[in-house]
Amino acid sequence: MLLLKHKVQVNFETKGLKMYHNSSQRKYWTFENEECLGKLRYQANQKFRGKILASGKVGVHESLLLDPLEEDALFKHYEKRLLDFCAVFKPAMPKSVVGTANMYFRRFYLNNSLMEYHPRTIMLTCAYLACKVDEFNVSSSQFVGNLQENPAAQEKALEQILEYELLLIQQLNFHLVVHNPYRPMEGFLIDLKTRYLTLENPEMLRKTADDFLNRATMTDVGLLFSPSQIALTAVLNSASRAGLNMESYLTECMGLKDDKETLSKMIDSMRRIKNLVKKYEPPKPEEVIACKQKLERIHAEFAINMNPKRKRGYEDDDHVTKQHRVAEEEWTDEDLESL
Amino acid sequence: MDQYSILGRIGEGAHGIVFKAKHIETGETVALKKVALRKLEDGIPNQALREIKALQEIEDNQYVVKLKNVFPHGTGFVLVFEYMLSDLSEVIRNSQRPLTESQVKGYMMMLLKGVAFCHENSIMHRDLKPANLLISSTGHLKIADFGLARLFSNEGDRLYSHQVATRWYRAPELLYGARKYDEGVDLWAVGCIFGELLNNSPLFPGENDIEQLCCVLRVLGTPNQQTWPEITELPDYNKITFKENPPIPLEEIVPDTSAQAVDLLKKFLVYPSKQRISASQALLHPYFFTDPLPAHHSELPIPQRGGKRSHQRLQPPYEFSVDRPLHESLVDPGLIQGHAWGCF
Repeated sequence: MLLLKHKVQVNFETKGLKMYHNSSQRKYWTFENEECLGKLRYQANQKFRGKILASGKVGVHESLLLDPLEEDALFKHYEKRLLDFCAVFKPAMPKSVVGTANMYFRRFYLNNSLMEYHPRTIMLTCAYLACKVDEFNVSSSQFVGNLQENPAAQEKALEQILEYELLLIQQLNFHLVVHNPYRPMEGFLIDLKTRYLTLENPEMLRKTADDFLNRATMTDVGLLFSPSQIALTAVLNSASRAGLNMESYLTECMGLKDDKETLSKMIDSMRRIKNLVKKYEPPKPEEVIACKQKLERIHAEFAINMNPKRKRGYEDDDHVTKQHRVAEEEWTDEDLESL
Repeated sequence: MDQYSILGRIGEGAHGIVFKAKHIETGETVALKKVALRKLEDGIPNQALREIKALQEIEDNQYVVKLKNVFPHGTGFVLVFEYMLSDLSEVIRNSQRPLTESQVKGYMMMLLKGVAFCHENSIMHRDLKPANLLISSTGHLKIADFGLARLFSNEGDRLYSHQVATRWYRAPELLYGARKYDEGVDLWAVGCIFGELLNNSPLFPGENDIEQLCCVLRVLGTPNQQTWPEITELPDYNKITFKENPPIPLEEIVPDTSAQAVDLLKKFLVYPSKQRISASQALLHPYFFTDPLPAHHSELPIPQRGGKRSHQRLQPPYEFSVDRPLHESLVDPGLIQGHAWGCF
C-alpha cells in the first residue's frame, strides 16, 4: 500500500519482463494528453504533404491530398477492419494479440501518414507481427489464409506483409512489448473477490467491463494511460452502471482514504478515460468512401516511387547523411559476410 | 549513423563485427553491433523478435550489458551498447597466476546475479561463455550477447560456426541434439566457466562435437537411465555409444580448490537439466559466505582491450628507482641510435 501512495499504477503482473512500470510503453509510448497526439498526427500529415509538393510532380494539387481529419476518419475505418479481421481469425486469436496489433497500428500512424503507407497493408503487418511477438504461433500461410481472397491475392498480401515488417518494427522503435488492460482487469476481479467482500458477485461486472475495454481499444486511451488505470475504469464503470458505488474500494482497499491527492488524480484520470471512450464515434460511411477514393488515387500516383529505400530495409533520414560516407564505407555488409 | 563516429574495431565475434564508436552528442564511448537480416522467407524470425523484446525491456540491471539504442541501418539494424573495456576470456588469458579464490568468488557472484536476473525474466541466454562476459573499467562483470547468435542463425553455415565457438560450454543435452531445452543450459555453462576460473584453463576443451561429449563423459561418467532418465528421449542418443566408464571425482578435476567450491561446481555439472542448481539458489551457497569473501569489483583485474602486449608498450623501458645505480636507469644510446640519430 505504501507504493500506491507514490504511484497510481496498480500492477498485478509480477514477472520482471512483464512489468509495466519499467516498460518501453510507459517510457516512450505514453503521452501527456490528447493535444500531444493530435500534434504528432498533424505533423505526420504535413510532412507527407511537404514531401509530395516538394517532389514537384506536375498536376499535384493540395486538394488531392487527405487532410488530418480525413486521415482520422480513414484510420478509424481501417482500425475497425483490423479488429474485425482479428475477431473472426481462425484459430481464435487471444485478446492480448488483438490488443497488441491494434496498439502497433495506433503507434505506427502517430508518426506516419496513411497516404505514405497504405493502412490495408500496415494493418495486416501489425496483426502478423503481434502474433509472433505474443507467441501466438500461426504460420504465414495460415495467417493469410484468413483473408477472404483467392490464393494469388493471399500470396501477394504475404509478400507485402513481409516487405513492411522491418519498417514496422523500426517505426515502433523496436519496442515490441505491449501491455494490455486485460490482465490487470482479471487482477482487479480477483482482488474484488478476495478483499472487497462488500460486493457479492464481482463476476457480474465482467460483461460490461469487457465491452468497455473493447470500445477503449478504438480510442487513444492506450496511448495516454496505464493499462491498469484503464482496467480499473472499466471495472468501476461497470459497477456504476449496475447501480453500485465502489468508492470504498478506492478509499479502503487501495488505502487512498488519507491520500486525497492521489485519489483525486486517479478519479480525474478515470473521468478522462471514460470521456474518451464515450466520445468515440465511428466514421460516417460516405466520408469513408470519399476518403478511400482519394487514398487510392494518391497511392496509385505517388506511392510506388516514393520509397525506393523501403526494400533495402529503410534508412531514416535522421540517421544517414552524406557527410558520414567514410564511416559508412568502413562498415560494409561485405565485412559482415566475410566472417 | 551520423550520431556516431567510428573509432575502430573492438572485435569479431561469431555474430559479426563490433565497432567502438563515440556518440557525437554526448561524447560517450559505445559499442555498435550490426544485425543484418537477409533471405527471410517467413519474415523476421521469432527468435530475433524475442531477443529484441528481451533487450528492450530489461534495460537496467547492473550485471547485464545495457542496450542503449537500436536504429535501422542498411538491411537490418544496429544495436548500441555501453562500451566495455574487456571480457572474462581476456582476464583468464592474461592473468599471470591463477585468480585468487576471492577473485573467482567475485566474478562468480556477479555472473550468477546476472544469470538469476535473466532467468527471473524468462530469458535464456543460451550462449554463456567467458568471451560474452564483459568487464567494465570499474571491474564489473556484465552479461552480453543475449542469445543474439539466434539472430544470425537463419543461414546454415552461420549456425555451425556459432556452435563451434561455444562448444566447450554446451550442455550435454544439446550435444545429444536436444531441440527443446530450458535455462539449465545456462547453468551448465556457468559450471564450465566456474571450473575454468578455478583451473585457469577450460574444463571440457573438446575439439569437435563428438570429442566434446567424450570430455564431459570422461569426467561425469557415462550417463545411464539412472543418472539421466531423460537421455533416451534425446534425438542423438541412439546414434552414438560410448565405452562405459565411471565418473572421476571433481576434486581431481579441479585440484587445489576449496571443498565448498567443489561442492558448488558439482551442483552445476549434473546431467539432468532440472537438477542443476538455479542461479538464485547458488548465490546462497556457503561458498560465497566463507573466508575468503568475494572480492570487491575494485580488487579485480582490468586488462586492456587487445591484451597485455599493447598495455606493456605504454610502459617506460625502465622503472625509475632512487635506490638503483644511475647507470642502470640510463637508456643505452645504441638502442635508440637508428631511431633518433637526428638528435645526436
